[in-house]
Amino acid sequence: MTQVGLVFFPAFDWAISPDHPEREERLLYTRDQIMEEGLFDLPEIMEFRPRVASVQEIAGAQICVPSVEQVATKPHLIAAGGTITAGELVLSGKTGRAFALLRPPGHHSMRIVHGARGFCTINNEAVMIEYLRRLKGGKLRCAVVDTDAHHADGTQDIYYNDPDVLHISIHQDGRTLYPGTGAVNELGGPGAYGLTLNVPLPPGSGDTELLYVIEHLVLPVLRDFQPDLIINAAGQDNHFTDPLTNMRVTAQGYARLTELLAPDIVVLQGGYSIEGALPYVNVGIILALAGLDYSGVIEPENQEFTSKQRPVREEVIRTVAYLQAVWSTREEQDLDEIFGESEYFQRQRYIYYDTDNITEFQAEAIKRCPACSGFRKVYSRAEHYHGRVTKIGAVLLPWHACLSCRRAAEEAYHQFAAEKELDHVYLLDPMSGLEETG
Amino acid sequence: MQPAQKLAGTGLLSGRRRSRRIGRRKNELLSLGQIITETKDVEQKVAYVVGIDVGGTNTYGVLLNEGTVLTTAKAATDPDDLHRGTTQVLAAILKSLPQAAAEEIELHLSTTLTTNAIVEGKGLPTAAVVIPGPGLRCEDWGLNFNLFPVKGYIDHRGREQAPLDYGQLRTVLSRIKQSGYRAVAVIGKFSPRNLQHELEIEKLIAAEFPELLPVTLGHRLSGRLNFPRRITTAVLNASIAPLQAEFIRMVQEVKDRYGLSRVYLLKADGGGVDLEASRQRPIETILSGPAASMMGALALSERIENAVVVDIGGTTTEISLFYRGEPLAERDGAVIAGYATLVPALFSRSLGLGGDSVVDFDGREITIGPQREGNPVALGGPRLTPTDAVVALGAAAIGEKERAWRALEKMGAPFGLEPRELARRIVTVFAEKVAAAIDEIYSDLNRRPIYTVSQVLAAEHLKPDLIIGMGGPAGFFLPHIARQMKLSYRLLPYHEAANAIGAAASRPTVSVTLRADTALGRLVLPELDYVAKISRPFSFNLAAARREAVAGTIRYAQRMGTPVTPGEIEITEEEVFNMVRGFYTVGKQYTLTAQVKPKVQRVS
Repeated sequence: MTQVGLVFFPAFDWAISPDHPEREERLLYTRDQIMEEGLFDLPEIMEFRPRVASVQEIAGAQICVPSVEQVATKPHLIAAGGTITAGELVLSGKTGRAFALLRPPGHHSMRIVHGARGFCTINNEAVMIEYLRRLKGGKLRCAVVDTDAHHADGTQDIYYNDPDVLHISIHQDGRTLYPGTGAVNELGGPGAYGLTLNVPLPPGSGDTELLYVIEHLVLPVLRDFQPDLIINAAGQDNHFTDPLTNMRVTAQGYARLTELLAPDIVVLQGGYSIEGALPYVNVGIILALAGLDYSGVIEPENQEFTSKQRPVREEVIRTVAYLQAVWSTREEQDLDEIFGESEYFQRQRYIYYDTDNITEFQAEAIKRCPACSGFRKVYSRAEHYHGRVTKIGAVLLPWHACLSCRRAAEEAYHQFAAEKELDHVYLLDPMSGLEETG
Repeated sequence: MQPAQKLAGTGLLSGRRRSRRIGRRKNELLSLGQIITETKDVEQKVAYVVGIDVGGTNTYGVLLNEGTVLTTAKAATDPDDLHRGTTQVLAAILKSLPQAAAEEIELHLSTTLTTNAIVEGKGLPTAAVVIPGPGLRCEDWGLNFNLFPVKGYIDHRGREQAPLDYGQLRTVLSRIKQSGYRAVAVIGKFSPRNLQHELEIEKLIAAEFPELLPVTLGHRLSGRLNFPRRITTAVLNASIAPLQAEFIRMVQEVKDRYGLSRVYLLKADGGGVDLEASRQRPIETILSGPAASMMGALALSERIENAVVVDIGGTTTEISLFYRGEPLAERDGAVIAGYATLVPALFSRSLGLGGDSVVDFDGREITIGPQREGNPVALGGPRLTPTDAVVALGAAAIGEKERAWRALEKMGAPFGLEPRELARRIVTVFAEKVAAAIDEIYSDLNRRPIYTVSQVLAAEHLKPDLIIGMGGPAGFFLPHIARQMKLSYRLLPYHEAANAIGAAASRPTVSVTLRADTALGRLVLPELDYVAKISRPFSFNLAAARREAVAGTIRYAQRMGTPVTPGEIEITEEEVFNMVRGFYTVGKQYTLTAQVKPKVQRVS
């Protein structure tokens, strides 16, 4: 028996807009199902109240423009706080595992936040991870396995160059679904090469494909990486009834995935089949976390899906084989060949905020440092739909930054501060959790 | 299938005004089942009220006239014949009445009959026909009942996803009959959202297995969601129903003999239920003892705000709470002998620690309780108790001080501890244990979840401002507990008959659940077996839902033999959700709880 701490926060009084998928009603049927199943009475399950995250706790993980207060609303602070509550439960040993069953979700929210994208504003799991790392003085290795049908581009962005956080995203192929990214060749920055893994699945993939990826790729990689905490960012939109995606996963598939992965902390992401999927998927996940039998959790419309055992698609087997090779050879790669030989690795990209209709241009430079994973300089220009433009400069220190990176980062910050065209300038030091702004 | 009745008594308003109450509950923090108005103007419907509380050792009775105690009586409780002590007390009280025949007399009875039957496992073996549908396996509910799962499946909205299988049902019912079961309960998952399956099975039993009647149906006992608890509630109810029927027969005799106008039984939530109406729902009369004691505290004291009530007895200490002037209720329902039910109950936790608990000392640690082995040494008992420590310290004059002193000496001597010092330590440990239990109760309540942004932001940290003490030993221990917790304290004037006063001061209550789903066009009041079609779903609104809930409560109270007026009814919980499919609002769902406002009469 494993004690599971459940931080259930359905935010029954909050919606992005009345008819938005992310609305009051989303976790209503899930609550009814959990109540009726009597899960809170089981000795394995304890329910906890979410706390409200502080502005500093958010600012310790993300750069909100212009400020946390102006980007994050109360529901976001509660969802992030509830995720921290879940993390604290596990880290303190109060419960063996924890499930932050809450909304609004977070995995599309990136390091720099100009607004909401993919229904996400604050990256709950990143806020929690950074909080827990500070508690542990930086001595905490985490693995995030994101099983939402959409690519976890936000969490990937935050941990792109972080050698202590492994990020694996399994999702419907970006060529067929928002946000479009998450291809197999996105493998992390020069300071954490191979620690970002993306497994795009072709539309129509179901339990067989998902579980194949877990067994043949995720579990061996986790065994190698030896994280202190395994975090499952659990989206439930791979379900065969989900209105926004094209996948065929069942409640049984989710429960089996949870059982195999044995995550310490589960954080809810998307999932918008609020009646046909969520009540059953969440009950399945909770039972699997508690080590209880979930074989009876079958959604009403699921007659054809469980009976049909399809062979794993060829395409998925090839993707897994490719990533297995990447993983096993990641330390032998010549990084100069991948990232160039110059002092800074540079990239430029456009990021679209679908929820708030913002287009962001980013130019980033990552210091190639032999002593640490290297600091990052980011120039970001966000154009809001009504024409307002915000330009910022941000300097990001890595965890365990070396002295020379610290000095260089200071200098970069002052250079940004001197540039008149920038509206805001930020310096983020994850160790102290302090954000300097100007 | 229950014929859909046309919605009665609902003047549907125009749908112009959109309800903005989305997912808000009236009672935000915890389900405070009770709103007790402590009032002097509770209407006295009869001149004389007799309150009787059947306790473990003694049965107490009290005669109340317009808030004044006229007389009290006491008799020993015979555990094998609860009836005897009750009649003795009643006879003694009625004898004191000046002219009994002239006035109406009401009897309020708090009895341990059903509680004891459950605690001692004396209920009948009961067959539980359950309709679990998919979900947690029956084996994992942790229920030790005779379960007979059958096919059929109602989902969370109350839609039938799979029908009953009559062939299978007949086989199962024959087996139940052949195994000699005389008590049967039928419980379906999500049955409060759709009564159809449970009612169908009852009909089948009536038609083809009439010897299994009466059956207890889950939805009639509670409209709340929690399938395992509903099973437990229904099974316990069915198992004690024959005992209750016998009890009703005996009390009816007494009622006739003494010409009583009405008899009410006290419920776990501090309200009353008409004697005859308790036949169908005996489970509601469990744990009336702790309820009587809370009602007694309410009737006898000034307004209490945020307080913890500590009732210290010989074997146990009962802890209950007041929050904003109201006694706190259990969120889900009463827990009795390890059975978690959906029976509405006042919040109460029992601690195995009392004045007569056994004290032990191993040279380092003092342990107290949970067992009791008779009286304190000072009263000739076999083992040292906290009461002996108090007596030895000279704080109470009970029995022989010298004996208590010698017992302390004997226990402390091997470790070189003086009797006085040992006595002091025992008192400290006692106070520490109670204080720790109170702390734990509050931290547990404070981790209880809340589901809306406004609730989280407004979340109050529950804490007591005051400790209130009741029971014999409270006088001495309370100051120590209060010092331990850095709180002020108040001691209720000790009243032997406090529980009987509580029973007499209580009033009958009922509560009903309403569920309306305008997308399905269906309205259900499970406790009443009432299903109606919502004929104009787009103009059904919150006001209509409230009216239906109030009308339902009035009908239900009438049926339960305790008629009420609309003014006596309040809505305690209210939840409204828009249902959006695609980009359109397809309907709303309403979940309401209405109840007859509980009242208690102030007694001096």
